[in-house]
Order: sequence, then structure tokens, then C-alpha cells
Amino acid sequence: MPEIRTGNELMTESAVASINFREAALKLLPEGANFEACLTCGLCSSGCPASGIENMDPRKFIRMALLGMDEELSTTPWIWCCTLCKRCQYVCPMSIDVSQLVYLARGNWPEDRKPSGIVRSCQLTRSSDSTSAMGMPPADFVSVVEEVLAEVRATQPGFSQLRAPIDKRGAHFFVNQNSREPMNEPEEMVPLWKIFDVVGADWTYASKGWAAENFCMFSGNEEAWREVIRKRVEAVNELGCEVWLNTECGHSYYSMWQGIERFGLRANFRLESIVTYYAKWIREGKLPIDSRWNTHGIKFTVQDPCMIVRKAYGDAIAEDMRFVVRTLVGEENFVDMQPNRSANYCCGGGGGFLQAGMTDHRRAYGKRKFDQIAATGAAYVLTPCHNCHSQMHDIGHYYGGHYGVVHLWTLICLSLGILGKNERIYLGPDLRG
Amino acid sequence: MSSDATTLETEVLIIGGGVTGTGIMRDLALRGIHSLLIDKRDLCAGASGGNHGLLHSGGRYVSTDPAAAMECRQENALLKRLAPQCIETAGGLFVAVEGDDPAFAEQFPALCRNAGIDCEELSPAEARRLEPVLSDKLFKACRVPDATIDPFHLALLNVDHARLINGSVYRPHTEVLRFEMADGEIRAAICHDHLHKRQITIRARQFVNAGGAWAMNIARLADCADVRLLYAKGTILVSNDRLAHHVINRLRPPGDGDILVPGGTVSLLGTTSTRVDDLENVGPTAEEVDRNIREGAAMIPALAEARYIRAFSRVRPLLQAAGNSSDRTASRGFALLDHASQGLGNFCTITGGKLTTFRLMAEKASDLVAGRLGNRQACLTASEPLPDDEACSWTEPATALKHWHRDRDADDMILCECEMLPQSAIEQIFAGSPGSEQERTIEAVALRSRAGKGPCQGSFCGIRIGSWLYDQGHYRDATGLAHMRDFFDERFKGQRCVIWGQQAAQMELAEALHCGLLGLDTLKEDG
Amino acid sequence: MSAEPRHFTTQLAVIGSGIAGFAATIFAINRKIVTAQVGNTGAVAYTTGYLDLIGRCGGAAVTDPWQALASLRETEPTHPLCRIPADDIQRAFTEFTDFLGACGLAYSAPGRSNITALTPVGTLKQTLCVPATMVAGPSALAANALCVIVDFKGLKGFSGAEVVANLRDRWPRLSTQRIVFPGMERGELYPEVMARALEVPATREKLAVALNAVVGSARVIGLPAILGMHRPDHVLAELERLTGREIFEIPTMPPSVPGIRLRELFQQALPQRGVTLIPQQRVTSLSFDGDGATLALSDSYGPIRVHAQAVILATGRFLSGGLEAHPAGIREHLLDLPVTQPAGRVDWYRERYTDPRGHAIHRAGIEVDDSFRPLTREGRRYDERLFAAGVILAHQDWIRSRSGAGIAIATAFKAVVEAERFLAGR
Repeated sequence: MPEIRTGNELMTESAVASINFREAALKLLPEGANFEACLTCGLCSSGCPASGIENMDPRKFIRMALLGMDEELSTTPWIWCCTLCKRCQYVCPMSIDVSQLVYLARGNWPEDRKPSGIVRSCQLTRSSDSTSAMGMPPADFVSVVEEVLAEVRATQPGFSQLRAPIDKRGAHFFVNQNSREPMNEPEEMVPLWKIFDVVGADWTYASKGWAAENFCMFSGNEEAWREVIRKRVEAVNELGCEVWLNTECGHSYYSMWQGIERFGLRANFRLESIVTYYAKWIREGKLPIDSRWNTHGIKFTVQDPCMIVRKAYGDAIAEDMRFVVRTLVGEENFVDMQPNRSANYCCGGGGGFLQAGMTDHRRAYGKRKFDQIAATGAAYVLTPCHNCHSQMHDIGHYYGGHYGVVHLWTLICLSLGILGKNERIYLGPDLRG
Repeated sequence: MSSDATTLETEVLIIGGGVTGTGIMRDLALRGIHSLLIDKRDLCAGASGGNHGLLHSGGRYVSTDPAAAMECRQENALLKRLAPQCIETAGGLFVAVEGDDPAFAEQFPALCRNAGIDCEELSPAEARRLEPVLSDKLFKACRVPDATIDPFHLALLNVDHARLINGSVYRPHTEVLRFEMADGEIRAAICHDHLHKRQITIRARQFVNAGGAWAMNIARLADCADVRLLYAKGTILVSNDRLAHHVINRLRPPGDGDILVPGGTVSLLGTTSTRVDDLENVGPTAEEVDRNIREGAAMIPALAEARYIRAFSRVRPLLQAAGNSSDRTASRGFALLDHASQGLGNFCTITGGKLTTFRLMAEKASDLVAGRLGNRQACLTASEPLPDDEACSWTEPATALKHWHRDRDADDMILCECEMLPQSAIEQIFAGSPGSEQERTIEAVALRSRAGKGPCQGSFCGIRIGSWLYDQGHYRDATGLAHMRDFFDERFKGQRCVIWGQQAAQMELAEALHCGLLGLDTLKEDG
Repeated sequence: MSAEPRHFTTQLAVIGSGIAGFAATIFAINRKIVTAQVGNTGAVAYTTGYLDLIGRCGGAAVTDPWQALASLRETEPTHPLCRIPADDIQRAFTEFTDFLGACGLAYSAPGRSNITALTPVGTLKQTLCVPATMVAGPSALAANALCVIVDFKGLKGFSGAEVVANLRDRWPRLSTQRIVFPGMERGELYPEVMARALEVPATREKLAVALNAVVGSARVIGLPAILGMHRPDHVLAELERLTGREIFEIPTMPPSVPGIRLRELFQQALPQRGVTLIPQQRVTSLSFDGDGATLALSDSYGPIRVHAQAVILATGRFLSGGLEAHPAGIREHLLDLPVTQPAGRVDWYRERYTDPRGHAIHRAGIEVDDSFRPLTREGRRYDERLFAAGVILAHQDWIRSRSGAGIAIATAFKAVVEAERFLAGR
């Protein structure tokens, strides 16, 4: 019985060279947190959602490195199952970071051996100035935004003057946009426009570098990562915006932030999350939301995206998010996932997993997240991350869950009573209106 | 006869399961002679299980013992050809650093040539290119055909081959207490079976004393006074990582801390040499540890900061010769004593020598024994390759992991995470590794595999393996916990004097687990 | 950019996220002290969940810890616990366990005597407080109940056969069964993963079916500690309902669910009660100037500075990094405070590892005065604003005396009381 293999394995393939992982760890990880410091206690493996996939886990990764199993580590498909979530480092008493070596291993694979979905997304990202993982050119993006804006102005009372600026020089916020909305569900862009309108934000999209994703980072392609970030940084610098406002995904933020540092790029702006501003605007009264809409006591939980919380801002932004959600749904209708905040589990949508084609593995990884959600009994999961959104939606369906996955902007507009009919695609019958 | 006595018979009883004893066992089997090998503990419990693992090219002895140097060179070449599965042909470097005698360094190549040892002179730059860890105070380097050898693997394969050839038997935990003698012969060896706590009588036509450093004690049990040994204790450190690819020797007359030998995933730094009198209470001291590090760091500065997971000591038996007081100038050669002068016609003692020369020692001893038995078969160990057996190869680093990784059975649990030893490896050890039939214990696993030899030094895997042994029904009562405690106590002996830095953290966690959590320090009272 | 440090100001800064650190924070917030806490993972995740006050003394098991404490005051007056009145120790434990209970992790109250509790291998230990999910175990042992220890395929290091084999003489009606954990038929299991899965009702139902299939007529079931992470009491109650039996947990080898329960509870509950918690990060420097203390550290996002009026140092021992062992001696990590220790490395350990008398290295530590302020080599307070708590303190061997939580909780209580007094006096 032939083993089930990826479609291109029947082609002649490039060989995967071996890295000396032990030496690489010595170089990449700080003293006291390199592989030699490992107590082999297992906290990392116990806490890693990728443990067991391909018979691997972070502790095994460390031991194999120290046992000189470079060939095995260089060729294991597990490196594409680790989502680089860094939870292993978080729980390790020695703070050992396996993900940096996983990233290194990814870059070591020949392009023709990498998961084609990730490589393809990177290629599409590089294919135009949009830096869009779906290959949407600037003109198309502009066209879609204009069309949707026109539709909203024409059909939704109260928004005849709604604006979605593009390439507005000097705007305060440079707003990034995940490619999925303009490509597949353009109406999903609207709630955020409305929120900006409500709070009076000075924002703009850009035709160049507007997109949010960076699968080049996940493919381990340093040069490609750098090129994408350079384009985006240039775009923001060119428009003179003060804040690059991340609206999409943990990894867009993380790849931008780390990329700027890693490649020594000059960024004349700050990187901020929309979540922080939601909380700020609520506290300032600019965003007058409350939970009165939730008359049936629908339960909600939230996902703490690792790219935004554990790997970037820390628990502060998790607190902000909870403030927003509690305000939105009612304290008594919020049920936290366990564990949460910096200790939260990656859902499995990150690290390029959604594009890697390893569906079974990705879903196995996501079982922990599914269980977390199931344990809350919540009807909806709120997440500020597109990858989390897709993955949680998929694993919910796959494991027979009974929850929906929605963006924060959807509920905010719902609370404000300004959510359009065709902006409810992720709401269940209970909230269709 | 006591009610639980058992008598065993064989043609040759071999006392001592080190490389020499197991080598004799195989040599005899290849001549068609059945033997019974016993060890008071288990294979390689003596010096064979506590040395550098250096398969000497002979370079170390060219100045002090050219004959031994040649023996080593010859056996080195033979073993590389006949037992490659136990050998890593790493090669060796002799390096001189500032402070070493330039004249000694200068003449070294010629001395090697005189002994027939390949010696390639390298520039300091070339040497550092080969081994970047070398001190920048290096001024002379030579490359020789040193190699490393796994004595555990070697002994296991020797026993396995002998068993396969003619059913020769190995019994661990069997200690000779006394001999029954009459008419110029040993009639029987009265032994204690430590495993089953009973007495065993072993009758044989020939008796071989291969007790290494214990040879004198054993000989005295047969009223033989012709074995006179002095004891030199050597201490070796085990580093957490493999710090070099080659064997690195100090290019100077033999001294303390002047060899760094790679051994799989670790490196062994040693050795010191201290005269001792007691064979049973031998362990490393902090002073020896520090001395090894101080001396070794001259060659390789990184040794000063390296993480060491273990230290061990073993005793070299030094054959006493008239007028000698310094151990170092005592012969590195071996001695084969036929005890004819003591009135015994079926007893011999073989001791001294090196791991490297075990085969030759076994040959000489077997020649004597076979002759006494009227067997004209020639020694075959210089021509017959040592057959491989997977059940005996788990002592090699990462062997377990490669099998496990290759087989990819999700239910095949890794029991020793440091060395990634899975259940299936232990099952295979139990199924085919000599001496494991009667002893399915934590210690037996550790002896025959890499279990307990990684950074945690058994602190986690000892628990997992113990628990697995209970699940398999090998342990059925509190004996298992006592074995676990004893296993940890034993491992501790090698850790005690290298506990600082990361090791201190590891030890705190280990003690919290073993004593705080499991209560192994209370077994006598509660369980 | 993120090179700019973020600043936090607080009244009390607690360094260390072990039991001492968390206890200190709990005592502080109960006293309305504005508190910030910083700490790496440390030993909590390895703990059994048992809160030991003192379990062994003079080489023997302790059934009455209060009596043992009285003896200790005679024999080891410098022991940290001997510097604290018994009433305060009792109070500290009560306050600590009450807090845990209020957060959803119920514990037995500290009583007059120790509880004889089970270890993962079937040995017994004396402990003061046990999680509610483990209470039925000691009870069943005492009653020689008909009990089945159920273990799981793939859960390494936990063997029902081992527990039974080592308890059979004392508990003849104990037996074992092995089952497959629902949804985890193949591969290696981790208690943490199992515990999280049991938060899901469907998983509990399947587990109950599997348990009922094997326990026969036994009325009590012993399981490895996997009964949920966040709501173990609820999980236990549900499983007891579904099986119709009493169920108890036995601690497992690390990574240990009860320890992770504590860690995650603290990480969530404390911020909810106003604590500025910076988890999983190490303080890299601690300095004192006129205004107070400044802690320097970093997280993923960048540098952080915490400014506090008082600091509690609860950084643990070698495993946690509070103390460092060098070939030449033992040092305190952050301030290089003087460390009471054996003369030389050769004296750190006895010959035999499991010698019941323990090893000298474990009594090394920092010296404090009666208000638990660390002392200099000359015997003076290092700084008025610095307090210390937990196992970093000298003159105790928490491992061998089974007093980890006791020392941590009691000294944290004392330190907070003293810190409160100090803050009130400013």
C-alpha cells in the first residue's frame, strides 16, 4: 500500500541539506537558554499543540539536536507543523526557544520541497506592490474598495458619506488589510470603515504595501521576507503616516515588527494593533458600545492570537481585548478560554499551516483549541486574527463544534446598530437580526 | 547440599566480564570450547566500563613503552577491520601548547615512525582548522590513527557471538567466593548469585581469572601469591556535548588531564592518576575534577566553561615489578600467569594491558587454556569479524533514536528522553542482549543502552523505565522502587563532583522528584 | 520604536513566580497593597499540588506538623519556619487556600495533622493540604476501600501496576486497569493535554464509559492527576456523577497538572484583581536608589522598568535561578547577596544520594533578619525596602523535610506583613 504523499513527491526533488542544529542553537539562543540548558522536564512538549504530530515535539527536537540527528531534523515535516507560536519558550523554566531553530530549518529546505501552498503564497505576495498573498494587484484592490464603498453609500442609511481613503498622504493611521476580504468577502471590510467613521479616525489604505500577510516569513525565506517588509515600510514612510495600524492578523504585525528589527529597516512610524485602539476609544467614549443588544445572553469567548499576545505585546493587549469584549457582550456573557493570554494555545492557523496542505496535521494541532472552545460552551469566538478565524472555523466544522467565529468589528457594529445585512456572514441565526 | 544449591558445569569458567573476559569467551568459542562467564556485577563493571574508550594508535606510549605502542598500533588496525561496529575512526591529534617541552614535541614524529605509527605533522593553523576549539597557544600538532571504541558494545557482542557459536553461557551478578581445590587443580568455584540470593557451584576443567584490578584478590582465593598488583585510580569527566571530532592528546609525556576523547554525543576528559589501596570505595574527587579541567583547558580553553554531566573513576591494575615506585613507569603491558608455580594446572590469570589490547590478551589466555584442554584449534579472533547484533548495539549514542525515528510507531514510547531510547529498544535488549534474560531491571537496561547517560543522568528516565517495567510485569513489588533508588544512588556517584551550574539545577529538580515527590529516601520505613 | 522601555509604578514588586512569590502577591492584594509581580516559570509547574508544611523531621514521617514545628524550634532555631509563630503559619495557609478556593481550585483546609497522601509510585507522604480532587485517595487508603487505579495507554511514567505493587501490603483491595484515553488511542500522552481535554463534556462522557467498563464492583477510582486544568472540581464532580463512583487523583511525574493549575490560576486571577503581572520574564537587574527600587527586564515587545517602593525577593534556588552554583561557591543571582553555604564544593553532597539525612547544599541560602530582610556579610540589612521569602532562604532543606509550600507560604506571609508595615510607615 503506497504511503500517502504530497503530490509532488513523484517528481525528482532537491535534497534537503543538513544543518548542525546544536551549533545553530548556540549561536541563536541566549546563554542560559540554549539547548544545553534543557532539563528534559517536558513542560514544553506537554504544552505544545504540535506535540505528537510526526512523532515529534519540542523536547525531542532539542534532544535530537544534541544527539546530532541533523539529517532527521533537517528533513522532518514537523517543522511545518510547528506554528512558531513560542509557547514552548513561554512555559520552559529555561526559556529555551525551539521555534527559532524550526524557522532555520524551514529556510534550509529547497523551495521545491517546501509546502507548495506556502511557497505559492509567498510568490503571490512578491508578485506585485500590493504584497498580497492572494496576488491581488494594487489596481484591483483599489477597484474593490471603491466598488464596495459605493455600494454602502448607496444602500446603507447613515453612511452616504462614508470614506475609505487610499493613498492619503499624511494620514495618522496607515491601515493594513488582509487579502481575503477584498478578494472573497469584500463586505467584511465595511464594519471597520464604519468604526473609523464613528470615532473620527484619520486613516488611509494604500495601493502599495496594503496587504497584511507574510507567508514568506513562514517559508523561511529570509530574502523574500525582507523584500516584502521593505515594500511595506516604504509604503508607510512614503505616506508619512505615524501609525501602521494592524487590523488583521498576529503574523502581519509580528512579521513587520520583527522584520524591521531583523533587517535593520528605517521605519518612521509606530506599529500598533487595532485592539489597543478599540479599548482606548471605548475608554475615551468615542466608541459608545454596550451589551444591551445581547438580550438572549449569548456566550462569547476570545482567542488570544500568539502573534499578537505571547509573541508581541504581552498580556497588556490581552487585557485590552477582554475589556472590549466584556463591554460588548456583557461581563456575565464572557467566558474565558483556558489557558489564555500569553499562555494561550495557538489555534494552528499560524506559521503558514493554513497554506501548508497538511490538513490532517493542522486539524490534529487544532484539537487543543477546539477543546478549549468547547470547554467554554460559548456560541461565538471573537478573534482579531484572520488566521485564527479560518482555523477555528475549520476545526469547529471538522470536530463537530457548535460555535461561530467572528471579528471584533462585527460585534462592535452590531452593538452600535450599524451592521449591514450583508456584513453578517459569520453570525449565526441567533444574530442575523 | 543446601536446599537451593545448584551446580553448573562447563569446560572453562571465566571470572570477570570485562573486555578481556568476554574476549576470552569468544576466542574459546571459536575454538569449539564451551565456557561459562561470570561477573560479580555485570558486563564491564570494572575498568572496561569506565575508561576513555580510546582505541590507541600507540602514540601515547612511543616514548615510555615502545613495545606497548606497537601492540596498540597492531590491535588498533585489527579491531578497526574486525569490529567496526564498535569503533568510530575519529583520528587523533597530539597537540603541544605553550608550556610544553618543544624538544619532546619535536622528536615525537620520529618515535612514532619507529613504532610503525602513521604520524602526520600539521601546522597550528591546519590543526585549528580541523578543531577550532584548540588553543591559539598551540605550537605543534601531529595527527595519528587514534580511534574510539565502545567497550559495552564490544563486550555484549563478544558474549553474544560466543553464545551463538556453541551456547556458551554468561551469568551476571555471580561472584566467586572461594575455590574447592584438590590434587593441583581447582575442582569448583563456589559462587554467590546476588540476583537470586543463593549459592552456586561451578565445575569446570579450566578456570580463568580475568578480574582486571580484582585479579589479585581472585588469585588469592586460590592460594596464589604470584599476582602482585598496585592500584592506580583514574578519574574521567564526561561533558554534556561533543566538543571535538578528533581524539585530542597533549603532546607531552603522559600526565593528568591530557586526553579529550569524543564518545558519541559527549567527550571524555581525563585522566588523573592516583595511587589507591581499596578497590571498593573508588570515586572521583572534586580536586581530580578540577585538575582534569585545568590541564585540559590548556589544550582546549572551552573546557573551563563546559557543562559536565558526570565523572567516574576506575582502577588500573599495575603489575608490580622490582624496584619501581612510580606507577607511570610500570608496564602498560599485560601479564598472563599460568600459576604452575603455585601448584595449579587448571588456573590462569590475565590482567593489566589496555582495552585496545584486549583481543591479544584474550588470544594469549585462550592459547594457554586450549592447550591445557588438548585443543589444537588456532585463534580466530584476528581474522574472524565480530558479528553484529542489533540487540547489543543500544549502547551506541542515538541508535535508539534512529530506529525509533525510522519506524515511526506512535505507540513506541520514548522512555529515556535525553538519549531518546524507546520501549522497543528495551524490548529488544531484553529479547537478545546477553545477560538480560534473568534480569529485567533498570540497571540492566542502563548497562545495555544509553539510558541514563544524557543530561538528566537518569533522573527522569529512571522513573519512566521503572514504571514501564512495572507495566510489563517485570517488577511486581517494592523491589522496583528499591532498584530505582539504587539506580539513582549509583548514577549520583558520577555526578556528585561535577554538580555546579546547570547541573545544580538539574540535581535540585532530580532530588525534588526522587525524594520530595517519590520518597525514595524513605523506602526502608514506609514501603 | 519598541526600544523605548515601558514603565510601571507600584507599591510592592514581587520577584519570582513560585509559590512564595504568588503567596506574597495574594497576601499583598488581600491587604490592598498595589502589587506588581515578575517571574519565570520556575518550579511550580513541577509540583504535585500538595501543600506541605512539614512532612518529615529527624528522618521520620511527621503526622503532626505542629508538634514537629515545636520540636524544630528547639533543634533548628534558625530554620525559616522557626522565625514565624505557628498561628501565623496556620493563618497563612488558610488565607492561601481560601484564595485558591475562591478562584475555583478547592483545597482541604490546614488541619491539626498531616494527610497521608499517595505518590505516583505508590509510596506515601505526609502533607498538610491537598487539592479537593485528591481528597478521596487518602480516605480510601484509610478505609481499605475496594479501589481501582486506572492508568492510560501512552501515559509514560505513571503505572497503575507500580502504584498497586507498592501499596498492596497496606491496601490489599487495590487493583489496576489500563484504558485508552478518549480520542488519544495512539502515541504519547501528556497529563496536561488530557486535563484540558477533560474540560470538554463530551470527553468526560467517553472517559466515564471507558472507566465503567473496567472498574467492576469498585466504588472508588484512582486516576493520574488529569481531572481538568481550570475547573478540576467540576470535572471531578461530573465524572463521579457519570460513573457513580468516588474518584481521586494521584499526582504524576512532571509536567504535572496540579502545578500547572496553580500557575495558570495565579496568572489569571492576579491580573483580574489588579496585579500587574509580567509572567515568564526574568528580572535582569535590581537596583535601589532614593525613591525606591527599580527592576529591569524585557519581554517580547521590548524593555520594561518597574518602579517599586518595596521588593520581595522570592527567586527560589538553583532550579529557578535565585541561587547559582559555581565550582568555587554558591552565589545569589540578582544582588550577589551573601550566601550561607558549606566550606567547599566537596562538602555540598554526601556520598549517597538518597541518604535520609539530606545534603548540605540544600541548606545554603541567604540570611535574613526577623523581619525577613536580607543581610549583608556583616549582618546588616541590605536595604530597608528589600524583603525575601521562599526557599532561597538558608537553614532549611525543603526537599527532605517535605516543606516546600510551608516555607514558601509562611515566609511570604511574614514578608508581606513586614512590607505592609514598612509601606504604612512611609
